[in-house]
Amino acid sequence: MGDTPVGDALMRIWMYEARLLMRSRLAAFALILMAVLSIAAVIAGLWEVASQRAAIARIAPAQADDIGAVADWIDKAKDPGSAAYYSFHPTWDAPSPLAFAAIGMRDVAPYILRVRALGLEAQIYDGDVYNAELALPGRFDFAFVLVFLGPLFVIALFHDLVSGEREAGRARMLAALPGGSRHIIWRRGMLRLALLSTTLAAPFVAGAIWSGADGVATLTIVAVAIAYLAFWAAITTLVSWFGRSSVANAAMLAAIWLMTALIAPTLAHVAINQTIPVDQGAEIVLAQREQVNRAWDIPREETMRQFYAAHPEWADSPPLPATFHYKWYFAFHQVGDEAVAAKVRAYRAGLERRSQAAAALGWILPSVGVQAILTRLAGTDLIAQLDYQDRVRAYHRRLRNFYYAYMFRDRPFGKADFGKAPRFSQD
Amino acid sequence: MPTNPPPSIVLEDVILAYGEHRVLDGLSLSVAPGSIYALLGGNGAGKSTTLSALLGFAKPESGTILVSGIDPAIAPDDARRQVAYLPENVALYEHLSAVENSDYLLALSGSPRSRDTIITALDAAGLQERAWDQRLGGFSKGMRQKVAIAVALLREVPVLLLDEPTSGLDPRATGDFNRLAIAVRDRGTAILMVTHDLLSAIDIADRIGFLDAGRIAEEVEAAGPDRFDIRALHARFAGPVAV
Amino acid sequence: MSVVRLIARDEWRLMVRNRVAVIGLCLTVLLTLVAIATSWTHQRGVADLRARHQAAASEAFDAQPDRHPHRVVHYGHFIFRPLGPLAAFDPGVDAFTGNSMFLEGHRQNTANFGDVRQSSLLIRFGQLTPAFVLQVVAPLLLIFLGYGAIARETESGTLRPLMLQGASRAWIVLGKSMALGAVALIVGAPAMAGLALIATQSDTSLFPVLAIAIGYAGYLALWTAAIVLVSAIVHRRRDALLALIAIWAVTVVLLPRVAPDIASVRYPLANRIQTDVAIARDLRAMGDSHDPDDRHFAAFKQRTLARYGVSRIEDLPVNYKGLLALEGEQMTSALFDRYSSQSFATQEQQNALVRAIGFLSPTIALRSLSMAAAGTDLAGHRRFLKQAEAYRYSLVQRLNRLQAEGVTYADDNADDAGADRRKRVTAANWQAIPDFAYRPMAGSDGAIAALSGLAVILGWLIAAALALAWATRRLGTR
Repeated sequence: MGDTPVGDALMRIWMYEARLLMRSRLAAFALILMAVLSIAAVIAGLWEVASQRAAIARIAPAQADDIGAVADWIDKAKDPGSAAYYSFHPTWDAPSPLAFAAIGMRDVAPYILRVRALGLEAQIYDGDVYNAELALPGRFDFAFVLVFLGPLFVIALFHDLVSGEREAGRARMLAALPGGSRHIIWRRGMLRLALLSTTLAAPFVAGAIWSGADGVATLTIVAVAIAYLAFWAAITTLVSWFGRSSVANAAMLAAIWLMTALIAPTLAHVAINQTIPVDQGAEIVLAQREQVNRAWDIPREETMRQFYAAHPEWADSPPLPATFHYKWYFAFHQVGDEAVAAKVRAYRAGLERRSQAAAALGWILPSVGVQAILTRLAGTDLIAQLDYQDRVRAYHRRLRNFYYAYMFRDRPFGKADFGKAPRFSQD
Repeated sequence: MPTNPPPSIVLEDVILAYGEHRVLDGLSLSVAPGSIYALLGGNGAGKSTTLSALLGFAKPESGTILVSGIDPAIAPDDARRQVAYLPENVALYEHLSAVENSDYLLALSGSPRSRDTIITALDAAGLQERAWDQRLGGFSKGMRQKVAIAVALLREVPVLLLDEPTSGLDPRATGDFNRLAIAVRDRGTAILMVTHDLLSAIDIADRIGFLDAGRIAEEVEAAGPDRFDIRALHARFAGPVAV
Repeated sequence: MSVVRLIARDEWRLMVRNRVAVIGLCLTVLLTLVAIATSWTHQRGVADLRARHQAAASEAFDAQPDRHPHRVVHYGHFIFRPLGPLAAFDPGVDAFTGNSMFLEGHRQNTANFGDVRQSSLLIRFGQLTPAFVLQVVAPLLLIFLGYGAIARETESGTLRPLMLQGASRAWIVLGKSMALGAVALIVGAPAMAGLALIATQSDTSLFPVLAIAIGYAGYLALWTAAIVLVSAIVHRRRDALLALIAIWAVTVVLLPRVAPDIASVRYPLANRIQTDVAIARDLRAMGDSHDPDDRHFAAFKQRTLARYGVSRIEDLPVNYKGLLALEGEQMTSALFDRYSSQSFATQEQQNALVRAIGFLSPTIALRSLSMAAAGTDLAGHRRFLKQAEAYRYSLVQRLNRLQAEGVTYADDNADDAGADRRKRVTAANWQAIPDFAYRPMAGSDGAIAALSGLAVILGWLIAAALALAWATRRLGTR
């Protein structure tokens, strides 16, 4: 009677597993909801990134308008100092192709910053306009759906994987089949995991392709997402195996989720900020301002000596006239910046340590770890912000040197010279 | 009769304990192919444990257990290939039809069959035609049992283990089941059924064993046209009743 | 009535026997205590730090040597937003808004150094505060303890025997609600005690504290009613649990995040570069004090000369440069006000939309209520920005007036060797300038701001009670 080839059996089993899953209302509903949420999150992320790109694209016309007007009246006196003083130069941090998946800090940290060749420390910490009440709850992006909601869906799909068969009275009969029930549970788990991962990750992959993301990074995120879901599936199955009723399992698992996804990170946040104190950034700005304004009350030559000692390339500039000269003004701004350089380094190191501590915590708390990996790959974390500040600093150095070449050599600064100013570029 | 075939189920001096408590304490019985053995006993006598031991779920401390010559404690999977097991409440998948359930379970046990074959078996098991493609949600215990027995028939296993097959069945369904059990036996299957139901046992068993404190206290074999002495059995099973 | 108490006591006995539940309850209470402790120390620490910074900044301002007043306009002033005591209960947007501002002439700077940019990504997981525990954790705990209240009886078929014994449906539901409500009280009590402690340790007005207390009590009561309701409607415990967790996830976690996205798409906010460029453009259109032929400033000059009855700037009794600065500052300041009002109007629209979505999620309503009463919402931040701008304006204009009246026009334009000395005014002037004093919101204002959120929560509570009454009537009729 073996009228069907045995090799067919496996195919048939998978088909029935899928049929059973889709005929369970809870499972079907969970999978559809997961797909809807993931699609919505990816679209919301893409929208946010598109609006940030659009804002960056709007810089050029606005800037042309602004600098054009400045150039018009500077051209009359051709004073390079005034040109440097009144010209704002835009910098920006364009979102990476993967930023849509994890907005990270991009909603609260500025991605456009205009700087002048004046003291940078008084400018670089400026923020952009944003509605703090909107930022408070956190973004609705792919990372959120994965990190926060993903486990809940795993719990919904897996919590009765083992205990459900027991409660339905099938467990002993299945165990009595050759091969036992372990294979059955394993297959069902894999199927659920595969379907859940697909519904979650497919919209992300589509979004990544749409925005032209790097293949390796995209696949890394997919792998991380699957690993994260698999981790929760393993925990859920474990609890389901040793636990009692499905209800008790679900309650226990939701409690574990609450602890790891919400409570532990908030506790860790308090702990990290306590153990790694960061000198308030405000102190840098206060100190820099004292330095800068002190220049008006000390002999100007003292400032210039300090400046030339650090920047001998301008030391051959003619001596200061009796009247106001912008090169002195810019010199004391730069001396002010340099006076707080150590504080700036310490501040930055503190921020990096905080970020590293959180990333290290990710090894223990998968929710934190996944969020950290996603924001890192998306270039939207604190480190990415600091990198942007580094680029701004490098650009600011070029700006200073550009204007100094006019100021310290007393070269006139005409309309055409505005076009020669260095331009910020992302890399 | 020529040489007797070796028994399909053998338990010999089996001692099995859960912690300090000896559940099976020197249990011995055997079931020949094509025969039905009814194992009767009160609660806690060790009936379920006997089935567990045969399925390889519980390992004995000593003694011999063989299912078609295979020790389930050593090679549980090989033993289970020889066995179909029907729990007291045969629970199948409510979201699947009778045919689908059979198909799925057959595939799980590594012996897939075609739809026609399955339908023939369901028919043979006495499941009415209109129930074949119906989802199992509304099936009675008797109907679910028929599906499970059809699966057992199709798996062509030499051993069938039944746990309280008639509990909760009405008299007509019990009659249906008894006829089906005999039909299966007549195909050469060895059936061990654990039961409270003395009447069914008397109707269909070839041998009845009384389990008490983990061992067979008494064993009777069907003989003669009346097969069993019902009064004596009842007295033995239920205890004397003062009138 | 005693039947109600019997049923409640029975329910408690079951909860106490459930070890996981007891541990969960203890952990939640512990978490609340930890939250109160850390949140309070944090608030104290931050408030102290800002007060210290403020004192240092004021001291530095007063310690300036004799200077030209316009120098001081650019030396500017640093101010720090003080943190109200109720921020220890609900810090609201404090970490997300900058808390220090540099005030100077001609420019409106942003508030900088919010915690969110000085912390690891963990801050986006939420902050451990009493408000967070009550808004997010407490409902989930109540769900774990209460999902089975009635569904358990339905599932195991003990509901009918209970009713046959003479317990009416209403008594059963009331008893179960009482049992769960008592747990809600236990969960809420530590946070409320903390709130009371905060209120008594500082001179906080009673109204916002009351608004917060009523709001959270209503919120927990709402969850209690909703849990008993679902437990009464659904026939299986598992379904009740999953449905409640789903409701929790949507209203507490999902909607509060989705609503802001909808709001920011619906009402886009102009960013800083747009605003800055627009302000610069408007300024150029209004007049350019650098341009001698500018129409606005030519007219201003004529008016000034006429007012003092002289024909030359040099003959004015006051320093014309100071007058120009006064005029210029007035113009820029008006523009700043206009643009910042626009920006806040947009943000207010965004928040209104979020609050409208709060009709679907009582958590959103509670969050706005709580922040509004604690004075830590966006309106609170705006109050600071408005006062900061008012202070900036009065400071700068005072210095400009000093320039107009304390420095002569001739000295101001001189560049001989002693000119620098003559341009300076004495340092006593800086000390005479009053320090920035933030006026916190009046307590009644906080309570009034909380009213709309309170109304939403109470509306939900009434709706839940009605639904519960309806579900009670068809209990056990399936």
